[in-house]
Amino acid sequence: MKRLAVLSGIAFALTAAAPLPPYTPAYEPTGVDERGMWMQADEAERQMRDSPFVLRDPALNAYVRGILCRTVGQDRCQSTRLYIQRLPIFNATMYPNGMMTVWSGLLLRVRNEAELGAVLGHEFGHFEQRHTLEGFKRARGLGDLLTWTALLSPTLYSSMATSVIGGFYSFSRGQETEADLLGLAYLAQSPYPAASATPVWERLMAEADATAAGRKRKVKTHRYSAGFFASHPTELTRATYLRDAAAKANDPGDPAAAAYRAALAPFIADFLTDQIKLNDFGGTDYLLAQLAADGWTPDLLYARAELYRQRGNPRDLASAAQFYQQAIDGGFAGAEAQRGLGLSLLRSQQLEAGKAALRRYLDAKPGAPDAAMIGALVGQ
Amino acid sequence: MIRMMGATVALLVAASPVQAGNSLIAPGAKILVAKSALAVTPASEWNKLGARPGRNSESWTLDGDGLNEITFYGGIPDGRTLFREVDKRNRPLPKVSGTMLITDIPALLESSYRIALNTPLMSIDSVEPARFAGAAGVRFTYSYTRPDSEVRRLGEARAAMIGGLLYMTTYEAPALYYFERDLTAFRQIADSAAL
Repeated sequence: MKRLAVLSGIAFALTAAAPLPPYTPAYEPTGVDERGMWMQADEAERQMRDSPFVLRDPALNAYVRGILCRTVGQDRCQSTRLYIQRLPIFNATMYPNGMMTVWSGLLLRVRNEAELGAVLGHEFGHFEQRHTLEGFKRARGLGDLLTWTALLSPTLYSSMATSVIGGFYSFSRGQETEADLLGLAYLAQSPYPAASATPVWERLMAEADATAAGRKRKVKTHRYSAGFFASHPTELTRATYLRDAAAKANDPGDPAAAAYRAALAPFIADFLTDQIKLNDFGGTDYLLAQLAADGWTPDLLYARAELYRQRGNPRDLASAAQFYQQAIDGGFAGAEAQRGLGLSLLRSQQLEAGKAALRRYLDAKPGAPDAAMIGALVGQ
Repeated sequence: MIRMMGATVALLVAASPVQAGNSLIAPGAKILVAKSALAVTPASEWNKLGARPGRNSESWTLDGDGLNEITFYGGIPDGRTLFREVDKRNRPLPKVSGTMLITDIPALLESSYRIALNTPLMSIDSVEPARFAGAAGVRFTYSYTRPDSEVRRLGEARAAMIGGLLYMTTYEAPALYYFERDLTAFRQIADSAAL
């Protein structure tokens, strides 16, 4: 069953570079199931519109929307409404009525416009293929089948339930593969290179490994075969079939890395702060190293220092003090680096040097919300 | 109303073993809280919730934990989380460290809430020195919003590290109306804390 899902993906890969399916603008739901799902999605969107978790910066919204439009084409992108949510997890979602959500954790983890386009194109592929409706009908059909079987033939039910439930999850994985490859077809027809999808999944695997190692858990072997209940193909399977399909598409282009860095620059510090507070030392340190591929900027050094100070082992505090100092020497703008440096040194029993750094923090920011507390620590 | 259930207790009820029932806290009497030597003397009646957020903690409320909740943490030792883990494998909570500075206590609460409640909308708004349970400690305020209810809540806390153990009490309620209404009652209880 698992192999079938992979095979169907490969079959689709052969046609990935083919022309996109015809697109219907201003589609209206048909049938009772689809109308019901759209009604629920419309209600979810009304709540999303007023949610405090939505980032409303007009420049960021216009930029991310521009990437979606350049990836899937102007006509297709007209039908979507895009909401950027402040959630520090790698994810984006697509609702059947055309609402797309992009999470800040995704924006933090992609390196260029093309990689973001690859993920957004995948989500748009679910919408264009109306996967939610198919999945709903399939689940209901299988549920009906199992219920009647349980009533009419309990002995048959016990043997049948496993294969029917397994079939449902395999169906879901097939949909993911289909959306992956449709996303790749969008990329192939966009200004971005089709080979951009693979590195996203490769880095996601490496980050999961780093998270596990940081938590002293066994680093799992990445497999091609998905688990019985997995709703998605494994990252390794996705990276592999996407690489093969991209090679067939042979589609060079500019991934627009510099433009992406410039557009995201005002938001990265906040996104990193949310990430650091998730208590995921290994994954976050890996992510910081990825962001610092072209060199450690003062902002990235400060973030790394915060991460190490938070874990707080004696060796972490020594590293943190070093990173804070490097950030300060490199011209880090905020007084918070002196605060972090001072607190790290205090916890390392370097009292005088620590108090001196904290005094520099108070001199630079006398009205800080914790000024009285820090003042008490230095004995002022 | 179910969606408005409060922070720590509501979160953890499902994972708790069979609970003793809720009980009434009488005013004016000194009472030990959080299965510890921490004692408080409330001036008014409160309800103690049967469900505990963790091993060394307990919660009180007036109108239900979604509307006002005081939580006592009675000496959390090195290596323990503030409250019960919600998903230890995938979202482990940060642990108390015996060498924490008092400035690290608000950061620990912030990180624990962000992870347990699945929200990045949690911030420490002010931190200042204050005595708690007879020791030099910290008083801080915070605010947070849960993704499932989107009600903005305010919080105030007092804490201290005493003998390597974390003692703390927090009060939180919706920013609209409730927080202000019962803040004075909380401060009286926090002031009365003693070991």
